[in-house]
Amino acid sequence: MGPRSLSTRLLASVSILLIVFFGITIAALDFAFQKVTEQAMHDRLEAQMLALISASEEDSSGGLQPAPEKTEERLKNPGSGLYGEILRSDGYPSWRSNSLTGTGLDFGAQVPSGQRQYRQLHRGDGSPVRALSRSITWEFDNGVSRTFVYSVAEDLEPYYAQLNRFRGQLFGWFGLLGLLLLGALAYLLRRLLTPLRRIEREIEEIEAGRMTELGTGYPRELLGVTTNLNALLHGERERLARYRNTLGNLAHSFKTPLAVMRNLLSGTHGRDLAVARQLDEQVGRMDDIVKYQLKRAAASGGIGLGTAPIDVRSTLEPLREALLKVYVERNIDCELAVSPGCLFAGDRDDLTEAAGNLLDNAFKWARGRVRMTAERISDPTARRDGLRLIVEDDGPGIPVEERTRVLDRGARLDERVSGQGIGLSVVRELAQLNGGTIRIDDSPLGGALIEIRFPAT
Amino acid sequence: MRVLIVEDEKPLRDSIVEQLQQAGFNVDAAADGEEGLYCGREYALDLAIVDLGLPKLNGMELIKKLRAEGKSYPVLILTARDRWQDKVEGLQAGADDYLAKPFHFEELLARMQALLRRSGGWAQPVLRCGAVSLDPRTQEVTVNGRRVDLTSFEYRILEYLIHRAGEVISKGELTERLYAQDFDRDSNTIEVFIGRLRRKLDPDDSIKPIETLRGRGYRFALQRENVA
Repeated sequence: MGPRSLSTRLLASVSILLIVFFGITIAALDFAFQKVTEQAMHDRLEAQMLALISASEEDSSGGLQPAPEKTEERLKNPGSGLYGEILRSDGYPSWRSNSLTGTGLDFGAQVPSGQRQYRQLHRGDGSPVRALSRSITWEFDNGVSRTFVYSVAEDLEPYYAQLNRFRGQLFGWFGLLGLLLLGALAYLLRRLLTPLRRIEREIEEIEAGRMTELGTGYPRELLGVTTNLNALLHGERERLARYRNTLGNLAHSFKTPLAVMRNLLSGTHGRDLAVARQLDEQVGRMDDIVKYQLKRAAASGGIGLGTAPIDVRSTLEPLREALLKVYVERNIDCELAVSPGCLFAGDRDDLTEAAGNLLDNAFKWARGRVRMTAERISDPTARRDGLRLIVEDDGPGIPVEERTRVLDRGARLDERVSGQGIGLSVVRELAQLNGGTIRIDDSPLGGALIEIRFPAT
Repeated sequence: MRVLIVEDEKPLRDSIVEQLQQAGFNVDAAADGEEGLYCGREYALDLAIVDLGLPKLNGMELIKKLRAEGKSYPVLILTARDRWQDKVEGLQAGADDYLAKPFHFEELLARMQALLRRSGGWAQPVLRCGAVSLDPRTQEVTVNGRRVDLTSFEYRILEYLIHRAGEVISKGELTERLYAQDFDRDSNTIEVFIGRLRRKLDPDDSIKPIETLRGRGYRFALQRENVA
């Protein structure tokens, strides 16, 4: 799993937070509502109970009955959801409401005198009812007192229905609110993260070489990052330029005295000739060491931020022309094949140095033909294409046993073989510093084939 | 042959000048780009050697200016930096070859001779015209295979004439190209040397290598054998 974006992280965290917060709120509201509706139901049952007691009249058999004209209508209709009962102390009902007909509801109440009791009962079909029973002592006209248990009950179905309706609305409104909040948050995040997205885009542009620095107009909080990044970009470029210039000056100030020495030595005659030759050899060695180390040091060593990929053809073509001019008398046929859209993700100087050395070597050794080929190495998973650079000639080639030594020569100058350049070992260094590899082989042209591969990155 | 060396390092410049003179060249020397530009413009040169890292006017600019003014003599660049970018730019600016410092004088001389030969339209190192052949590398001259001994100055006149074989070359041009500036420029001297050359190359007056065109100058009249 790749790294998640800032906005995804924030949205996920806020969603969790909202779910917890809304969950607690919904639970609290639900609990409160339940309490309130339950209380309301109890109040209603209490009122029905009082109405039933106040409507009660003595009947002929020494029991109690509510007067029909004072009885609540719902008690008279079967299945109305409101039920009532007056029970004598011997357990026989003195009165049962018509609404109880067919419900199978049995109050079966045993309530101590003067007390009230709430209970959850079930009708014969299992649906719940809430019942209130109360024991009262009635003093008859004839002076006898008897105890009765009054019970009223109400179906809980409407109560549950109401509760469910309430819950439905609660979830609906909170869900809507949550969505609105998340939407607003996403919009805000988008706006807040716009500058960051811009930095990301501009860095991509810089990497592609289409921009040299980040633009202006960033919010205050990001200015520190953008200005420092720009300073870093400039610093890197300037440092490389300054560094190369210094190395160039060093080369100049070192090689000029060497050139003077060489010239003085070549003017030596007679007895001193042997000494002169030895000194000249040492001058050559010093020159090689300096050349190798300076070229190595001047290599940029890979792509810097803000360096555009180099067009390979426009780098190689001038080299080819230059060498054709220098070697005009050799009448060499030099073919340059660059596949279309071939780019080098690195420094132009590095490519020029590597290709120049290879091409110069090829011209030196060729009998009549030199071929330089540049191809893209495509890799769909990489950000930048790689490059394959091949230089071939029809000269004597490089024997297998010599190949490693030729490439290592610059690194081990003590084992210098006189008359051999350090060109190939410089190329090897340049290739490696740019993440590439070098290979020597036989060319179909008959001579040496040297291939540098810079892999896709 | 008249060559210009533009090099700011005095010891190197002096050393090259001395060796070039010993090799028979008429040498002008300049210590910076501006002086080099003056010499390159004003003198009738056969070749210029230009160091790239020059004060006042760098070598690249110097070559561009000379080429822009139509100077077509070969230019050899010397470079201490030894960067391909510099070499390519130098050659694009109009130079014909480059040499990295430190170099052997023999290498410089060989490159110069190759450039001079090419600018004269010669493809091979040994210049052959009819029975006469001249090898600038050994300064050896033969007629029908017979070696001819020449003095240094006789050789220099002959080399110049053969280089430009077929062209008419005035006495003034010969004087300017072959004499150092402080040399006595008496045109009669040229006539004397031409007379001696004719006697040495063609003692029995059979091949007539050098023509005199009255009032215009001289021409090496034998057909070139190996032309570019």
